[in-house]
Amino acid sequence: MHAVEETPRLSTFLSQIANGLVLGSLIALIALGYTMVYGIITLINFAHGEIFMVGAYGGLATLTYILPTAIATTWYFALPIALVAGAIVAMLIAVAMERFAYRPLRNAPRLAPLITALGVSVALQEAMRVFYPGATAALPFPNLFIEGAVVIPIGDGVVIRYVGILLIVMSLVLAFGLERFVERTRLGRAMRATSQDRDVARLMGIDPDRVIVLTFAIGGALAGVAGVLYGSYLNNINIDMGFQNGIFAFTAAVLGGIGNIRGAVVGGLVIGLVKALGGQYLPGGTAYDYVWIFVVLIIVLVFRPQGFFGESERVRA
Amino acid sequence: MSENPQTADGTPTDGTTTDGTTTDGTSAAAEAVVEVEAPPEEVTAELAEDMHIATGTREPILVSSGVTMQFGGLRALSDVNLSLHEGEIIGLIGPNGAGKTTFFNCLTGLYTPTSGQVTLRGRAMPQDPARVTEAGVARTFQNIRLFPSMTATENVLVGRHVRMKQGPISSLLHGPRFRRSEAEAAERAEKLLAFVGLTRFSDELARNLPYGDQRRLEIARALATDPSVLLLDEPTAGMNAQETEATRQLIFAIRDLGVSVVVIEHDTKFIFTLCDRVLVLVQGELLVEGSPDEVRGDPRVVEAYLGAPPEEVSAQLQTGGAADGAGTAEGKSE
Amino acid sequence: MTTTATPETPATPAARPRHTGRFARLLDAAAPRSTVLMIVGGVLTLVGAYLPWVTFVLNEGPYPEKATLNFFVDPFGVTGFRLHLVILGLAAIVVAALRRIPARHRIVRGLGIGATVVALINGLWITVEGGGLGAITASEGTIAFGSIVALVGGLVTVLGASAGGLERKPVWTWTLPWWVEWILLVVLFVIVLLLVAAVLTSGGQGGVVNPYAGVVFLSLLAALGGAFAALNASGLLTWVSAVSERHRTFSVIVLLIVALLLPLTSAGTEYWMTVASNIGVYAATAIGLNIVVGLAGLLDLGYVAFLGIGAFVAANLSGAAASQIGIHLPFVLVMIISSVVAGMFGAIVGSPTLRVRGDYLAIVTLAFGEIFVRSAQNNIGGLTGGANAIPNIPAVGVGDFKFSDSVVIGSLRLPSGVLYYFLIVLLVAAVMLVFAHLKNSRLGRAWIAIREDEDAASAMGIRTGPIKILAFLIGAMLAGLAGAFFAHKTAVVAYDSFRFLESVTLLAAVILGGMGTIPGAVLGASILFVLPEKLREFSDYRLLLFGLALVLIMRFRPQGIVPDRHRKAELTDPDVEDVAKEGPGPLPTRVEP
Repeated sequence: MHAVEETPRLSTFLSQIANGLVLGSLIALIALGYTMVYGIITLINFAHGEIFMVGAYGGLATLTYILPTAIATTWYFALPIALVAGAIVAMLIAVAMERFAYRPLRNAPRLAPLITALGVSVALQEAMRVFYPGATAALPFPNLFIEGAVVIPIGDGVVIRYVGILLIVMSLVLAFGLERFVERTRLGRAMRATSQDRDVARLMGIDPDRVIVLTFAIGGALAGVAGVLYGSYLNNINIDMGFQNGIFAFTAAVLGGIGNIRGAVVGGLVIGLVKALGGQYLPGGTAYDYVWIFVVLIIVLVFRPQGFFGESERVRA
Repeated sequence: MSENPQTADGTPTDGTTTDGTTTDGTSAAAEAVVEVEAPPEEVTAELAEDMHIATGTREPILVSSGVTMQFGGLRALSDVNLSLHEGEIIGLIGPNGAGKTTFFNCLTGLYTPTSGQVTLRGRAMPQDPARVTEAGVARTFQNIRLFPSMTATENVLVGRHVRMKQGPISSLLHGPRFRRSEAEAAERAEKLLAFVGLTRFSDELARNLPYGDQRRLEIARALATDPSVLLLDEPTAGMNAQETEATRQLIFAIRDLGVSVVVIEHDTKFIFTLCDRVLVLVQGELLVEGSPDEVRGDPRVVEAYLGAPPEEVSAQLQTGGAADGAGTAEGKSE
Repeated sequence: MTTTATPETPATPAARPRHTGRFARLLDAAAPRSTVLMIVGGVLTLVGAYLPWVTFVLNEGPYPEKATLNFFVDPFGVTGFRLHLVILGLAAIVVAALRRIPARHRIVRGLGIGATVVALINGLWITVEGGGLGAITASEGTIAFGSIVALVGGLVTVLGASAGGLERKPVWTWTLPWWVEWILLVVLFVIVLLLVAAVLTSGGQGGVVNPYAGVVFLSLLAALGGAFAALNASGLLTWVSAVSERHRTFSVIVLLIVALLLPLTSAGTEYWMTVASNIGVYAATAIGLNIVVGLAGLLDLGYVAFLGIGAFVAANLSGAAASQIGIHLPFVLVMIISSVVAGMFGAIVGSPTLRVRGDYLAIVTLAFGEIFVRSAQNNIGGLTGGANAIPNIPAVGVGDFKFSDSVVIGSLRLPSGVLYYFLIVLLVAAVMLVFAHLKNSRLGRAWIAIREDEDAASAMGIRTGPIKILAFLIGAMLAGLAGAFFAHKTAVVAYDSFRFLESVTLLAAVILGGMGTIPGAVLGASILFVLPEKLREFSDYRLLLFGLALVLIMRFRPQGIVPDRHRKAELTDPDVEDVAKEGPGPLPTRVEP
């Protein structure tokens, strides 16, 4: 009797863990962009969430308007093409944003870039709503991966869709690759040098502008990939997705210690779990799952603004 | 359609610039920047009366006993003792990294000493900058930290904050008590600006003031808190000979107000001609304490402080040259 | 009082200014003939105004009729944007010709920019709505180069003015007998009232009713902007503000009376009273936000939540059927309670300032704002109605008399909603008073000091923690007050009105107007809440333009329209060190008129 009651509970718990991990790795991908940009120029790039959204629409547009139906419906063609397209669109927007909105304010007081970021965020969201056909409502997004799911036979069964597994794996691989890039390559070293001291980096022959552009480009591309994966997993996208997930990603970045790549991933996973488990077990249910994330955000910012990973391993001193 | 130059509105600029001058043999170019002027005596007298600082006590008012400051494995200060008497000017010198600023921060509540204690009039110094100021210890900063977009007068008025009592309700009602308090503060600010010779800049934003005047404004702002002890962190850094001389006159005048002064300086000549007593800090320890003459002649100071062959430096010290080259020019001019 | 304090010496007439920047060569070439260019530009603007502007007849109605060839049937009845161009052009010619006018080039430049923008707006509108460039050039046998000629005229004016070298703004120090100044102030304020009414009603209500509303409104705005820039350049505005400063109490009273007279002008309809009341609500809220952001320098991205809290508290105490608490308290009491509750939440939201600074604080406030919206959306505790909102909130009233009724005094019939308008005017006035009194007090100075340098402030004995929380508390109380009014005026309170975007809009109002100033917050709120009203045909693009505008403001005029003397430095590039080391700073200087 007892055991019969326990297993469904356990399977619910595990399902929520799985959901949390999928959402968390998505947030982690977005958080990487936040954390890198903040690490280099200490700017909270509010519009980064919108880059993620734009990436998703970029991927969808490629699937809908550019690719022939035969290719767009064959996952092993469609998935890589959509991911690359989403990444490129997002990257271009991110770089343009840096060039035209943020760079002129590089030496302005801190309020100015933050407000600019808000403006860019609103403008991008609205531009998409006005100019993307049908974007006033949520748009369906095809699953770009193998249909179906892994079912772990516990209780009622814990279902993890393949596309969810893809999401987790891709996030981890990309984050790992990014870390290797920052640690091992010449450009990565230039990024770290720039984040420590822009002027000294310049003296060492590094062009900070190029490094900053590169940072925005990488962050944008990752967000674009995240956007396409998000659409593929949830099967619909809307123009509000950027703001909400952007805030989550920011929370994740802070949680992991801003400027810290590994921290962003862990932070993302924690946020995903908080949302999934909070929606399941905390009072108010899923209606309040967002609230719990904001509560976490406030608590972290107030009591441990340097994040879980503290001062060590930070990209930025 | 009259056109009255605003600067002349009731300000005694013309008067003070001519009769307050005490410099000799200065270049015309430098003179054009700053005239050395001691604060007008009547202003000093009025201010002293307003501030009510001198109590005539013979007890030391600020005492640091055994102050030790440890940062991780680094001992920045060890066992530093100091006692400041009323109306005294104490100088604190030492090479870079000797712990002067750390000691200052211990005195002003920014740091809590690892061991030892600081007392003000026998009471333990509070551990919060705002309360330290309230208790009667004011300071200036090594890198000027004015409120750049406030006018000179407003900067000084901020200094009055701690001696004013008007809260939000009273500010909202703008009642007679509020107005009286504001008027008193404004009057005091005016006197303080006259005291440091900045009346002509009273409506100018702090950030637009010349460098030396920014330092003076910082001193006026600190004085506005009615301190019994004023701590000056390198008050002549970056100043030329005339400005330095003016600062010396100003500090004497501040002492005449009844305020006791502690000065950190690199410029040994400045310290030796200003202070009643000089403390030499080396590597966090108090090396020598004594009158300027004693310190100047002490071979340990010469050796440890300067780390150079004693004879050479001794000669330099005797002539009052600056220790670290900051003021060699005025050393020769004397 | 403003004093001109630019470091460079004014250009002497003998040595022509050397121009720098992108148009340097053009400006240098134009410099010797600047006066001629200004006059030619003015003439072209005039000519453009009298030329036909469209090659076809637009639909019926007063505005398009004048915008067609029909115009020449009645050549002296110049109205609308043509009138604006005629006035701007004539003024430019006159000022350019009179060499003794101080800051002549700067004045003419303002006029020229106004004319350029007016021509541009109308030309663009005709082009876009009329189906291409043919509509403003030549097609089907008719020619209509009016907009192009006027645009060229405006540009030439600006070119001439800029090439001539921009003088410093002169400072006037006239003093007239006190009664003359009083009369002058009254006249000026009445003119301002009429202008406000004209701006508010220009083009009508917009939307389907009048497709030209937006462009008529923008034309008027551009023309007024040009005139304002010219007046400002002449130094007269500064003088007037000095005069009103001399008679401060008198000015405040007259301004208040003038504001209360708005229902007697062309704006005295129910529709405009409602628009004005809404502006008032946001203006009051923006002033509250201005305490937090403008004075204390703490960025609050969730501020609209306090307006929401005030509104929901009022809704619950209003006796509305949907409210959880079944009591109906008198409005004054409701306002106080709303304000206090909002203030309490303000203190809570502000408490992280004890530990968090800068960007992170902004994010914390944003998080609080989002928590509020989410909770309200989920009808937390049954207090917010969730998606159903709290509808049917009864109007404020005494006995049978309702504030939403129209008022009849003798033969004068005031539109309904006028009482709410009066109420909000008084409320805004009270909020302004609070702001002004606090700003000029020990508390206000402490806020500004904290904004400027928090460590130095605490070294001055300011207990920064409680004082920062106080900023949040008072700001939130003012928003709560506005919220209580809002609930009764609109009769419906829904969580939807208090989203993040509204917070950003309020922040934008404060920034656009000028941080730390009262006129700034009011002006910013007016612009941001009138524009959408007027530009219904652009409503799809409203937020897009809003976002871009934020970016552009931060880039080109971060100090806002009415900059605070203090704040000017804060948002433009501050480089105290450099200024300090350059030697003697500029003294307050003046230019001989």
